[in-house]
Amino acid sequence: MTEEKKPEERKKRKTATEAAGRVGPMVKAALAENLRAKEEGKPIAYSFIYSGYDEIIRAMDIVPAWTENYAGICGVKRDAQRFLEKAESENFSRSLCTYALCGLGFDSWREETGEMPPNPPWGGQARPTVMLGSGQIICDPRYKWYQAVQHYMPDVPVFVGGLPYPPYEDDYDYRDVQDYYVKYIVEETRNLVAFLEKHTGRKMNWDRLSEVVDISDRTWNMISEAYDLRKAVPCPMGTGDAMNTMVPMTFMMGTQEAYDFFKELYDELKIKIANKEGIIPDEKYRLLWGGGLPSWFALTDFNYFNSKGAVFPAEVTYRLVEPVYELDLPKVNDPLEHLAWRWVKYWTYRHDKARKRPGSNPDVERLIEYIEEYKIDGVVMHEAFSCRSWHPGLIWQLNQLKRVYRDIPSLILESDIVDISSYNEADTRARIDAFIDTLEAVKSR
Amino acid sequence: MSAENSTGGLVTVEGYYQEYGSRARELKKQGKRIMGYLCAFTPVEIIAAAGFVPFRIKGDVNEPITKADTEMETIVCPLVRSCFDMALKGKYEFLEGIVIPHACDSISTTYSVWKNTLNLPYSHLIDMPHATGEPSLNFYKEILGTFRKSLSKFTGKEISDQSLNQAIKLYNQNRAKVRELYGLRKASPPLISGAEVAKLLIAAVSIPVEEANQLIDDVIKEVKQRKAVPAAKPARIMVVGAQVDDVAFIDLIEDSGAWVVADDLCPGAREFFADVDVTKNPIDGIAERYLRKIKCGRTFREKKGDYEGYLEERFGHIGRFIKDFKVDGVVLYIYKYCDPYGFDVPAMKSYIESVGAPVLYLEDEYSMSTIGRLRTRIQAFLELIGSK
Repeated sequence: MTEEKKPEERKKRKTATEAAGRVGPMVKAALAENLRAKEEGKPIAYSFIYSGYDEIIRAMDIVPAWTENYAGICGVKRDAQRFLEKAESENFSRSLCTYALCGLGFDSWREETGEMPPNPPWGGQARPTVMLGSGQIICDPRYKWYQAVQHYMPDVPVFVGGLPYPPYEDDYDYRDVQDYYVKYIVEETRNLVAFLEKHTGRKMNWDRLSEVVDISDRTWNMISEAYDLRKAVPCPMGTGDAMNTMVPMTFMMGTQEAYDFFKELYDELKIKIANKEGIIPDEKYRLLWGGGLPSWFALTDFNYFNSKGAVFPAEVTYRLVEPVYELDLPKVNDPLEHLAWRWVKYWTYRHDKARKRPGSNPDVERLIEYIEEYKIDGVVMHEAFSCRSWHPGLIWQLNQLKRVYRDIPSLILESDIVDISSYNEADTRARIDAFIDTLEAVKSR
Repeated sequence: MSAENSTGGLVTVEGYYQEYGSRARELKKQGKRIMGYLCAFTPVEIIAAAGFVPFRIKGDVNEPITKADTEMETIVCPLVRSCFDMALKGKYEFLEGIVIPHACDSISTTYSVWKNTLNLPYSHLIDMPHATGEPSLNFYKEILGTFRKSLSKFTGKEISDQSLNQAIKLYNQNRAKVRELYGLRKASPPLISGAEVAKLLIAAVSIPVEEANQLIDDVIKEVKQRKAVPAAKPARIMVVGAQVDDVAFIDLIEDSGAWVVADDLCPGAREFFADVDVTKNPIDGIAERYLRKIKCGRTFREKKGDYEGYLEERFGHIGRFIKDFKVDGVVLYIYKYCDPYGFDVPAMKSYIESVGAPVLYLEDEYSMSTIGRLRTRIQAFLELIGSK
């Protein structure tokens, strides 16, 4: 067993909004709720963000345990290494997704000893009743991670349902195939409901599901409207804060609390804009976080950018919603069908736009859209070595952006989401300094 | 037991292996159309039925990856990077298009990179599901239907059921011949080396299936006629991993004093041991084979009974190879950054050990630069097996 190691001292990131400052306690409360649910015998589901079932588990009153989130917390607390090492000692390669490795290390440790690892970040993660994977076009860990956990918890059932979306192709339109995508997703989510009813004893309340779906639709709209306010100059909220506000977006979707959070954020941003209150007093460079998950242990890098006069009014990462009223959704009575349509239409949202620009594709088009709407001076991406879901293709997107749109200063940082051993603060900041010099040179041309 | 003394099929195999793509290049000059693809999950029957020669894109462990890094991240599976690097360097200039299945993240998340960087006249991503239940199977049939339409549109000619059935027949013959070839490895000592089999199968996915069938027949005939009986070697090894399209690693094991007698690899037993069933609608049989019959880490299988039964469902075919081919030890040869296989290692290792075979797990980077390190580990493993 890996010995307990004292986490490295870390500095707290300074947030620009009060809303972002409230997120830490919310996460802590959610984890405490999980532990309490375990004591009370409520069903707990290991869950992945953005896997199409948030509303279903909320409507069935099943308590989600967001395992990626817990790994991220271990990263933020700089206390992931002992779990990564434990996973490695089980023969999992250190090159695999470090969210998964952190979780596997934690779970195998807990199963081996019969109790939580010593001093787990924020009380630890409770043993689940079920584990809900997802078979998407991206993210192999979504169907492999829980299957691998089952080696240590063979009694805990795993569900993996298909959740695809149409790829962007030249020779056919997504509308040619969308019906069979929706049909499949509805069948798979219906199977998920049956699985949950069987293994948790909870019955689906379909009226409740419709209500929850309605809340999440309204939350999608509210998030979109709140984030749109970040177009203001000076920018009132940056990507650093968005890495906090992703918590209610991804871990609380379908709850009134999430809606209220973003309504409050919207109101706060309105006031800041009225007062011309930006993230920093002297905003010189407006940057786009163009892709890649953040290094959770190094979020203070966003403050470092701020110290150089740079702000991030927009990011691709964790902007997982669009205004529902712009998605051209058909009117359907079945809430599962509505969710399936929303999923397919979200992922095909920029297909038409991309088709109008030769050489573009929906990902590149999104970069262009944000660059124009948020008055962006440069693009920053992060390549996390352990994640092949969101990171392959970023270099090409950046190259293609310059080929089909215009040259724009860019920076690709390299590290990881959880594994701090991949991070070098001095090197990262030297690269940021050099990038700022480039931005300055371009501005002064 | 080497191709050096051969005058038949093995010489041809050696040529195709060393000059990978040479036959496709010749055929292109003769007016044939060549369609590139990645991975065992591309339904080659549909490509062949459309009138193309399906050509498996492979990497090269001897060639340093230099060009690929300008467009593709280094965190992508090294095999995929090497394949892309070779394509960028003009090694596969005869391709008219590329078909990429949604096999794993490294393959599917780089689709845009392949499609837009190579700028070939045709490209298509086959959005194959990970789950295997009835809804997934029906969805996958729709996906294959879309692929069929897409290829038809490209060629301007409908892909008929008749041509699909003909392609299915030829590929099933191909697989049956490979199974016969594997049968020659059961003898002690085996009649054909692991390196020879690997070269043959790699060559076979680079030429038309009719030619591959003839080539396998020739090799079987040649091997059966061998007069010199190879000397017995102490250990019979099985190699398990993802796509191993280079014989360097197999050579390493055999040069270290063992026979590689079985595998669960691509190209290898994984893709040649499952046939397409003959069905009224040929797409039904194709869908069933690729989604359910090929046992690969990228496909999720639901646990229905106890955990031991689940391991048997996922890895039982490895257990059967161990028994049928009298395997003394298994090498799990997994590439760095391979999520589908990397996550399976503890479960797979535990299953293989439970059926009585020792296991060596090696992580590699698809490069000759690691061979020295691997040799030491292989030799130690063989000593361990020898000492039992």
